[in-house]
Amino acid sequence: MAATSTLRTRPPGKPPKTRDTLLSQDRRLGYGLITPAIVLLLAVTAFPLVYNIWNSFHYATPTIPVVNGKPAGLANYRRMFASGSAFGPAFIHTVLFTVVSVAIEMVIGLVLALALNKPFRGRGLVRAAVFIPWAVPTVVSAEIWKGMFDPQQGFVDYALKILHLPGSTTTWLANADTSWFAIFVADAWKNTPFVAIILIGGLQVIPLELYEAAKLDGASAWRQFRRLTLPLLKPALMVALIFRTLSAFLLFDVVYIMTGGGPGTSTETLAYLNYDAFLNAQDYGYGGAISISLIILALLIAGAYTRIFREKA
Amino acid sequence: MAIFTKTQPGRLARRAAGMAAIAGLVGTAAACSSSAAPAAQTSAAAKQTIIFATDGLGAEGAATTAAIKGFEAQYPNITVSVLNLDSSANNQYQQLTQRFQAGTGLDVIDGDVTWAPAFASAGWIQNLSSDGFPTSQYFPGQLASAQYSGSLYAVPWFVNAEGIYYRTDLVKTPPTSPAALVSDAQAAVKADPSLKEGFAWEADKYEGSITALVSFLGGFGGKLDLSDLNTPANQAALQFMYNTIHSDAITPQAATGWQESNVQSAWESGQTAFALNWPYEYASTEKIATLKNNVSWIPFPSTTGTPAAALGGDNLMIATKSAHTQADLEFIKYLTSPSVEITRAESAGDPPANSTAYTSALYAAAPYFKQEQAVFADTVSRPSSPIYTNISSVLQTMVSSVLAGQESPSAALSSAQSQITSLPGYTS
Repeated sequence: MAATSTLRTRPPGKPPKTRDTLLSQDRRLGYGLITPAIVLLLAVTAFPLVYNIWNSFHYATPTIPVVNGKPAGLANYRRMFASGSAFGPAFIHTVLFTVVSVAIEMVIGLVLALALNKPFRGRGLVRAAVFIPWAVPTVVSAEIWKGMFDPQQGFVDYALKILHLPGSTTTWLANADTSWFAIFVADAWKNTPFVAIILIGGLQVIPLELYEAAKLDGASAWRQFRRLTLPLLKPALMVALIFRTLSAFLLFDVVYIMTGGGPGTSTETLAYLNYDAFLNAQDYGYGGAISISLIILALLIAGAYTRIFREKA
Repeated sequence: MAIFTKTQPGRLARRAAGMAAIAGLVGTAAACSSSAAPAAQTSAAAKQTIIFATDGLGAEGAATTAAIKGFEAQYPNITVSVLNLDSSANNQYQQLTQRFQAGTGLDVIDGDVTWAPAFASAGWIQNLSSDGFPTSQYFPGQLASAQYSGSLYAVPWFVNAEGIYYRTDLVKTPPTSPAALVSDAQAAVKADPSLKEGFAWEADKYEGSITALVSFLGGFGGKLDLSDLNTPANQAALQFMYNTIHSDAITPQAATGWQESNVQSAWESGQTAFALNWPYEYASTEKIATLKNNVSWIPFPSTTGTPAAALGGDNLMIATKSAHTQADLEFIKYLTSPSVEITRAESAGDPPANSTAYTSALYAAAPYFKQEQAVFADTVSRPSSPIYTNISSVLQTMVSSVLAGQESPSAALSSAQSQITSLPGYTS
């Protein structure tokens, strides 16, 4: 900034301004320019955040007027950890889902990216086909998968049957384990392409000369992958990992559409509980407390990743 | 990705300014947030538009449109603008509560029978006790659903009851107990290979599973007494529900993902001998040649001799913030007048909530209403509470976990009871 301001031409006839006034003029203009963005951000992120924090320490239940609006202390937070609360199981579901789904999606995404980065005939077409699921809204893809897993009209059981594979009479969404399997499939179908897109971007910036040099040195394909591709792909891997982890941690839409948290409570996630508290129960205090916990957990994850990122970089 | 930027010195002042701005925003919001004071009223004779929030597709939607035309012809100064709500009850409830909190955009509301207590306790709908509605002409169960702490807050529009449809060509005499229903269903499936299942009912984890539960509880003399859920009768009913799917095999496991519309298509495609559904199915079945003369409708049979048919139906309410209360009242009075209710019953199959509408004229146009009235006599309502949605949520999970075999009926009932009684705002 300092450099540009000293280059400015001075208006004729006026005494030269000091460096300080020029700087502060610049600064004022800068603030003026970012004000609309800041106001917008405050309105859509900071305000709801503060409002949620406020609610989480109050009873905010319009349908229970006797307590509505009264300070609640830590009651909403205590309710999350009370015995029989759905929060604990939902937390475990969420963590397990995040770890497993992100691992699956990263591995398949990497394989896809490596394959699609090699030149072959019809690559454009295949790439487009692979990326289409990512362009489908999750609500739509979850509805499609719910239909696919339907035991009477669905494709999954039908395919298993004509291929004479076991499980062709499974009612996928009626059991905890098979429900989770269906959720994993629906989520991976939609999000693996996202990982692949980011990794292809990462692969494309690796100079080909490096591989040529490695080949001249007699490095095997595996060695090239271990020593060249992986280390150079690390930034892209980290970006994909962070994005996927955070969005998997907030898993809601697939569960809402496919299982409604059921059977019983076996597929309830934290984000689902949050929805339930806000929109079903109209309990903005408890919902706020769950939201704040989700934010804290997401911050912890992001913080942990940045730490790892910095150490390795 | 602000998380990744390092904090720099000198940011404190700006941060403080940011916090001040946020505080300002919060203050504004608090100032905007609702007070329950009614809005300034438009005079009854003035030209005005009222918003009617309702749902209903097909025949029901057409009947509503026709009724509005009739009303507007009678009251040329009032225009009714329909706000179409989602077809799922859960989503409707959410759409409405969001609008109530925003405080605008609602005048007359068509809502499920379970909603009035919550809306009334939140101060979102008007007390209609002194507006001259003929309370003695409504069915007692539905009248109770329209009241909150002794006052009338909603006007019954049409009544609904969930009962058992069965194919008279497959089942000669109506079953008189749940066990008889099971054996009849099994016999029908054995006799007719074109049947895919014996008994279709909605077992998905949603509100419909609670109306089904109410009917099944009645079959064993149980009831939804929230402070005494874990009774032998209630256990037997939940066990029955589990058995239909798992041991009696009259209901496919897929039904644990079925809602009303799935039951409807199972019934209308002729793949089931019994189906649990609402009165509109009668009107719908009348249009299907193969089923038309082979249908009968009964309350879910009870071992005690007193069956329970889950009460449904719609009540009309007026938003506290409506600026058109007089016009709203005229509109509700028009919609709930016996002659308009009869027209709706004939065209859309919605049974009138006003008992004086059950006339020979109605029976002449739609004879099945005579049979329906027998089911209405056995209606049992779901628990009436301002926190009904929270209670229902717990009960839905209870049913779902029993059907999935995750919990025994007894364990599920006792856990549901302790969860419900410790819900904030619960009063017995």
